[in-house]
Amino acid sequence: MLEGALERESDETPKSMLRAMLENEKKAGEQGKPVCQSPGFPTVYVSFGDNSLPGQDLKKIWAEELVRGTKNQLLRPSMVHPLTRVNPGDNSGTGVPNFEFDYNPGQEYLEMIVSFKGCGAELANAMQIFTVAKLEKDKNYAGLKRWVLDTVIKGGGKPCPPAAIGIGLGGQMDVACKLARKAVSVRRWDDVNPDPMYAELERELLENVNSLGIGPAGTGGKTTLLAVKVEGVSTHTAIAPAAITFHCWTARRAGIRLFPDGREERIF
Amino acid sequence: MAEKILNIPLSEQDVRDLRVGDVVYLKGRIFTSRDMGHFTVKKLMDEGKPLPVDFEGAAVFHAGPVVRKREDGGYDLVVIGPTTSIRMEPYHKMVADLKIRAIIGKGGLAEGSLKQFEESGQVYLQAAPGCAVVLAEGVRRIENVFFLELGVPEALWVLDAEKFGPLVVGMDAHGKSVYAEIRKEADQRNAALYG
Repeated sequence: MLEGALERESDETPKSMLRAMLENEKKAGEQGKPVCQSPGFPTVYVSFGDNSLPGQDLKKIWAEELVRGTKNQLLRPSMVHPLTRVNPGDNSGTGVPNFEFDYNPGQEYLEMIVSFKGCGAELANAMQIFTVAKLEKDKNYAGLKRWVLDTVIKGGGKPCPPAAIGIGLGGQMDVACKLARKAVSVRRWDDVNPDPMYAELERELLENVNSLGIGPAGTGGKTTLLAVKVEGVSTHTAIAPAAITFHCWTARRAGIRLFPDGREERIF
Repeated sequence: MAEKILNIPLSEQDVRDLRVGDVVYLKGRIFTSRDMGHFTVKKLMDEGKPLPVDFEGAAVFHAGPVVRKREDGGYDLVVIGPTTSIRMEPYHKMVADLKIRAIIGKGGLAEGSLKQFEESGQVYLQAAPGCAVVLAEGVRRIENVFFLELGVPEALWVLDAEKFGPLVVGMDAHGKSVYAEIRKEADQRNAALYG
């Protein structure tokens, strides 16, 4: 996706930024080093069915793996107390990693996707409880779309563009926020939303955001976002919650599906 | 494009010669500092206590590295890249008082810093985000570390840089900010699209 972005740019500044990103990714792979100094914040998405229950203490296993990865300099010790800011020095801590469990009756495999999402990107996030009037449904949801573009503009270079955004719609505040984080974390950035209305919204927003001129690193250019991912669930008739979560250009995630017969399938 | 390498400590003239959009590299001693680092320096100054390093002419990098501790107690740099600078905006006056000439980070700073830069002769340099391996290649070694009790990311690391960059001048000492200009144009485009 970055290579495509490089081809689209004509000015030297965005080109130099994109070339540095591509070179960095290549060298990180060759040298076995982290792509970025910041490990972000880890969330593990776990889904299972009746015949694929975890059966082990996943929380303990993942927490121990994080500490081990930190000792091996794969992860910088970045987890701190939310108020005192005390850093235990090994990425251990209450609620680390965060878990999102999803029970799907009939799912034959246990799926785990770990997502390390950078936190400079978090500084650009936004959440709003829209009202029906403010959505501007009569103008093809111009109110919602203007807010999305405004949020990307305010984000500027903060979320390490070319970034991706997840947009969560519906539920209440917590539901919309979790949907937004999940959309950008577990979906492939080049997929097409199976819901035609959301697919069209993703296409339109991506095209228009990339006409704003913010560009790679926020210093100007044609690619500000690589992807827009929208997920929606029903909400109450009085409200229209919407949340936007940013993901920096490095999609550091890995996933696996474990089948009861011992088969394994890698995702991404 | 000719490669411009600037030596640290930087003079006011070095910095005033730069314009938004210029691409530069830095050579010399670079200090890292972020939220708790700035907070701690401010506290020491308020209490009239000495600072661990001399900031005059310095380049301060908004960053926290990944490091490896050696058997002799020293540290090797694994990777390093910029963190989001806007969090350090409240310290612009302190940074100017310390005579820091260049701030390296990502995303830029706000209006308060821009005015301060013009008045005091400072610049903001944008590093390529998420390019921690490439940027670390420009650093010869870690010379020293202070405030390590704040944790690895927040400590003040002293880096010996050979050719650190590429860095794009995002805000100059003449009142120009590439971020502010882009934002103004983007706001107009949004208004044209969605009213």
